[in-house]
Amino acid sequence: MLRYILRRLGASVLLLLVVTLMTFVIFYVVPRLAGRTTEQLATMYVGRAPTEAAIQATIERLNLDQPLVLQFWEFVKGIVVGAEYTFGNDVVQCSAPCFGYSFQTYQEVFPAILDRLPITFSLGLGAAVLWLVGGVAVGVVSAVTKGSIFDRISMGLALAAVSLPVFFTGQLALAFLVHDWDLFPNARYTPFTEDPLAWASGLLLPWMTLAFLHAAQYARQTRAGMLETMGEDYIRTARAKGLKESRVVLKHGLRPTLTPILTIFGLDIGLVLGGAVLTEQVYSLNGIGRYAVTAIVQSDLPVILGVTLFGAFFVVLCNLAVDLLYPLVDPRVRTAR
Amino acid sequence: MTTPETGSRGDGLPVVSVRDLSITFPTADGDVHAVQNLSFEVPEGGALGIVGESGSGKSVTSLALMGLHRGTRAQISGQILVAGTDVVAAHDRDIRAMRGNDIAMVFQDPMSSLHPQYTIGDQLVEAYLTHRPRAGKAEARKRAVEALDRVGIPEPGRRINSYPHEFSGGMRQRVLIAMGLVCEPKVLLADEPTTALDVTVQAQILDLLDDLRRDLGMALILVSHDLAVVAGSVDEVLVMRRGVAVERGDVRRVLGAPQHPYTQQLLAAVPRVEVTRAQRRAQLRAEREGRPAPAAVQEPPRAADRDGEEPLLSVRDVRQRFRIRGGLFGGSTDFYAVDGVSFDLYRGETLGVVGESGSGKSTLSRMVMRLLEPTEGSIVFQGRDITHLPERKMRPLRRDIQMVFQNPYSSLNPRMTVGESIGTPLRVQGERDGKLIRSRVQELLERVGLEPSHYNRFPHAFSGGQRQRIAIARALILRPKLVICDEPVSALDVSTQDQVLRLLAELQEDFDLTLIFVAHDLAVVRQISDRVLVMRKGKVVETGDSDEVYENPQHPYTRQLLAAAPVLDPDEARAHRAERRRLRGEQGEQPAVEVV
Repeated sequence: MLRYILRRLGASVLLLLVVTLMTFVIFYVVPRLAGRTTEQLATMYVGRAPTEAAIQATIERLNLDQPLVLQFWEFVKGIVVGAEYTFGNDVVQCSAPCFGYSFQTYQEVFPAILDRLPITFSLGLGAAVLWLVGGVAVGVVSAVTKGSIFDRISMGLALAAVSLPVFFTGQLALAFLVHDWDLFPNARYTPFTEDPLAWASGLLLPWMTLAFLHAAQYARQTRAGMLETMGEDYIRTARAKGLKESRVVLKHGLRPTLTPILTIFGLDIGLVLGGAVLTEQVYSLNGIGRYAVTAIVQSDLPVILGVTLFGAFFVVLCNLAVDLLYPLVDPRVRTAR
Repeated sequence: MTTPETGSRGDGLPVVSVRDLSITFPTADGDVHAVQNLSFEVPEGGALGIVGESGSGKSVTSLALMGLHRGTRAQISGQILVAGTDVVAAHDRDIRAMRGNDIAMVFQDPMSSLHPQYTIGDQLVEAYLTHRPRAGKAEARKRAVEALDRVGIPEPGRRINSYPHEFSGGMRQRVLIAMGLVCEPKVLLADEPTTALDVTVQAQILDLLDDLRRDLGMALILVSHDLAVVAGSVDEVLVMRRGVAVERGDVRRVLGAPQHPYTQQLLAAVPRVEVTRAQRRAQLRAEREGRPAPAAVQEPPRAADRDGEEPLLSVRDVRQRFRIRGGLFGGSTDFYAVDGVSFDLYRGETLGVVGESGSGKSTLSRMVMRLLEPTEGSIVFQGRDITHLPERKMRPLRRDIQMVFQNPYSSLNPRMTVGESIGTPLRVQGERDGKLIRSRVQELLERVGLEPSHYNRFPHAFSGGQRQRIAIARALILRPKLVICDEPVSALDVSTQDQVLRLLAELQEDFDLTLIFVAHDLAVVRQISDRVLVMRKGKVVETGDSDEVYENPQHPYTRQLLAAAPVLDPDEARAHRAERRRLRGEQGEQPAVEVV
């Protein structure tokens, strides 16, 4: 078991390193392959006023004149232990993990991300709970009552929901639920520690919008998995014991169905925590996703780079969590590894 | 509970009684009558065997006894009484109270019948608490340990916390039986409980069911496609065919003097371990030529030792190593699936390879096919060393070595017509003339007992036996010299099995084939083989002329296998059981064969 944990941990660290390498390649090597000179590359990282001196300083700061391996080394070092940048006579400490400075605000990228993290977290986790519970519940009921009106309607809705993007459903919800019918308050972020009620009510609509899409997927997956599981021999064994049907479904049928769903859940929640781009944009929530959108619009390269790595970090982290949870859910993994 | 003194027949009131039972499944093509007007009863402590081939309605009947037809589309009429519960009419709640408490069921496939994500303890405790909700967890656990102990699970107190995948197939079947026992039901219903198991394990499970019935006074309903499996374990037999009971009566009477032609036919199809190769051959030849089988046969002595002749296939000390990963730092241990096997095979001969799962018999055949490269040793085919031949050079030789696989359902490509499947080897070997391929395939289809018009059909339109005929045709299309049959009939019903074996025997003569016949069923192997290799854990424990090995087995393992083989005569079956009990007593309490 310990060995399994260590192996998973090792694999995650390796994966992060590979992601870092690929990000580095995209941001530092590909422009060169496309024919950019060192100066042109540096210009991309200078910001709005590319004076000759600023460009030279940037080249030095990012080691752009050094061999690629060394550049990558410095890049990783900056992330792990931090870096010191010299601007003229000033020495600025950029503490670990250092993704550099925004051209627009001259803020360090990482603290800026941390500032926005609570918003993205609140949005992502709340939505995740909604879609997991809602999706699985609908899927189970659909499977058990296969062919019923409920099954047909909910699966029809699910198919529609899967094909509707968030910027459509979100706008629709804003237009009708908020403006025309005044059923929901407009989306607004209040820190949980200040006022839990306001936190929840302000996020209710974004939660539902984000959860809608995912819940549909989960409902479909759960239904398919459940139908398969309920045909297994051990379900017949459970019935032959004299168990109530509800217990057969909820204890014997649900657990094997949830096992693969856990895997997708890990991926999805990792993606959302790295920034729910569309939802944050539609509801004007200043989370990581919106930060990324602004940065892309303004070609704010260090921010884009930082958000990319940060998002990757969450996907890897959530996957690791799933891998470590897996043996608890499915005992066969314990002895197999 | 009262145990009948003799143990052979319960004289009490019927604990299961079925009257005029009919079960119908409505389908788009009209109603399918799975069971029609079936009546039988089982007295307290009695034992009934229900025998029939697939489609006979025996499984549908056993599910209906448990009330498990509810919630399906089955339409049921007639009456089923199980320990006083009217299974057809009763409320769901009463059916649930009956299941597991009055009647418990053991299913065919122990590998998939236990929930993989709960410990066996959880699953047994749940069964107990469902019917004894007021008993505490501790009490339920105690009962579970007792039940596991009763069915012969070693160290039940510790093993109760294990998960199903930590047990072998036979042990899992014991766990399922224990689960049935925890509430001390009046009836134990076992639907093909040993079909998925090895011969010796099968014997152990059947012995266990017999013990339980005697010690606990339970009635037993044993459902099987194999008459020989039920022969030694039941008092009464019910033979079913296409949903109808064709014959019912005392087991000695039905097996000794069957009245109905179908029962006679079924009995004739059961491979018998006591029939010699020569007798079988003479019988087949006589049948082909349409004359009565000779009473006594004297096989002409085989060309002595074949001194001058070069063997078609010569296998020397082959070993196949598999690495098992494990250990703290990803280290690995070696495991030899085949460990030093040698034999010679001459033209026209049949070599039977017998062994249980894990004996290495399939690995051996894959090495001869060169689907696996032997780790050590040599394989010489037609004077040419093919041990380490690269695939490119092996390909032309594949024409001469063909294989028939075990599972006719998965070894044919479902998206290819039967004709394409059979013709593919020709195409692979470079034949381009489509018309020629078609005519050769159709010729062969006819030869294996199918219609030339079946060329354009897909495999799903065929039964298991027909599919195996197709697989045989595919193996023969290149006119190979050597055909390896890996458990070719183990997935088939007895009578289909008999037909396929007859076909193989005929084809061997007509095509001058040399066969390697791999199987776990001793009787089947004896009927078809000139010589036998008995394998265990990768090694050959005994080899020789097949009649000699069967008549006078030298190795204790061969003897054990032979003692475990099911026999048709109920009295002989009981004698075998006594012999097994004695052997087990000598070896200590626990069966020595199974190790996880």
